[in-house]
Amino acid sequence: MDLTTGSGPELDETGLDSLQLGEDIRHLIAAPSENASSFTALLELPANQAVELLHSDSGRKQYPNLTFPSNTALLERAAIFSVFHSSNSADSCSVPSNSSSKNLEKGSAVKCEQLETDSYLDSCQPLVSDPTVDNSAPNARPSSKRKEREKKVKAASKKSKSESSQQEEEKLPYVHVRARRGQATDSHSLAERARREKINQRMKLLQELVPGCNKISGTALVLDEIINHVQSLQRHVEFLSMRLAAVNPGMDFNVDSLVAAESGSLIDSNFPNMAMPLMWPEAQVNGNRHQFQQHWQFDSLQQPVWGREEDSHNFITPENSHLSYDSSANSASLHSNQLKMEGRMKLHQ
Amino acid sequence: MRAPRSVLKQQFLKKWMMGLQVFGSAKQSMSILERKKAIKLSADIALASTRAGRTCWSRAIIADASKDDDGKVLVQHLLSPESERLKKASTGLAMENKRVRCKKILKRSCCIKRVRKGASKVVLAKSISKRIVKRRTQVLKSLVPGGEFMDDISLIEETLDYMVSLRAQVDVMRRSLAKATEVVNGK
Repeated sequence: MDLTTGSGPELDETGLDSLQLGEDIRHLIAAPSENASSFTALLELPANQAVELLHSDSGRKQYPNLTFPSNTALLERAAIFSVFHSSNSADSCSVPSNSSSKNLEKGSAVKCEQLETDSYLDSCQPLVSDPTVDNSAPNARPSSKRKEREKKVKAASKKSKSESSQQEEEKLPYVHVRARRGQATDSHSLAERARREKINQRMKLLQELVPGCNKISGTALVLDEIINHVQSLQRHVEFLSMRLAAVNPGMDFNVDSLVAAESGSLIDSNFPNMAMPLMWPEAQVNGNRHQFQQHWQFDSLQQPVWGREEDSHNFITPENSHLSYDSSANSASLHSNQLKMEGRMKLHQ
Repeated sequence: MRAPRSVLKQQFLKKWMMGLQVFGSAKQSMSILERKKAIKLSADIALASTRAGRTCWSRAIIADASKDDDGKVLVQHLLSPESERLKKASTGLAMENKRVRCKKILKRSCCIKRVRKGASKVVLAKSISKRIVKRRTQVLKSLVPGGEFMDDISLIEETLDYMVSLRAQVDVMRRSLAKATEVVNGK
């Protein structure tokens, strides 16, 4: 039974950690070899650095031979799902790195590679066992055994949970579905059930990512939250790009200095010299006041749409509420928000 | 130790800056709306390129952007290392999506909605909730770029990835905005 990921990251950290994990997954899939030395990764929110450090540490140390991103990606996926794995929360350590090390030893690395090649965009093959996974028999067998052991549990809810977490660990190669008591056994309903299980797995992942979705049960409500969140994020982007356009009339970014400034901004407030000031005609600033007025109205229109997410009428509210979504109320980003407010107020005078 | 999330952000930032530089001196003459569009476009393409090739939404963004001139230039500029494979993938996606869409329309037209008569309350509630879920998945499909062509499962995965990237994008943009306003005020 120790084949599973065992410890889950603590549920208390919920959205923050899962956000981390989710993003780590994405990132690790995307960028295998970052030239870490060239950038100081200070865009990061400090509260999550420990978690991330552990993730990346475990990833880099453990699996030099394997494709780095895919392994840790899967591991973290699996770690996430060990959260839901009530029956298997054996280990004490709350850090996913340990679970990830276990997983790797258990050979889910091969599965990871499998997943990467499968590219989880492929549609599921419900009852087809992937031949390559079968070939890596020692690795696949423990998980299938796990599954079958889990399946013997009669309690429906618990079973679905463990099944889903098992399946999630393997991500996609195959889905074991066994008929439970009193359920139809024809292939259609089996396939449907397999599909449903997969959907539920992924919905759980999404639930972690969206703040405030953990307590909601039911697909429809969760979907609603997700939709709201995606919409709000997209609106954020629009809004921010509009503001950037307003603030920087004569933009000519010197990439390196800007990046250095970005990196430096989080930890310390003194910027290195930036080449940005070169091109900003100050005469434009007065003209921008008009634009900002429009933004006030635009934002106040946005307020009701945000609904329960915030109730203050502050103009900066969208930013602040987004901060609350972020992994940690980062003092530096709060600081930047204050600066923004000051900046805007000055411009309005 | 570099946290992967911030590396994603740095990549995005770098590509975004590269994209903005493409506009170069034209910035001075653009109206504010055009500037905003340029900023947003380069941000979106930069975001898609960080995930290029592996996710459906990123390919969809790139495919859409390649349709008009501005986007094409940006795409070529930002994606030049991996451009070949990616461009092919994007164009292929467009073709494939059309085919998938036709099939789905056909399927839907053949499907007859069954009217449940005398259904018990439980069954009724289930059908109602199913309809709600279906409607919401359609909304989600309209939100996620390239989402109309995906089945439920991949839609959820795409949403996951897309949300994470969007968050990173918003974060980077917010910080650069703060930086920009600081510099303006500092002057």
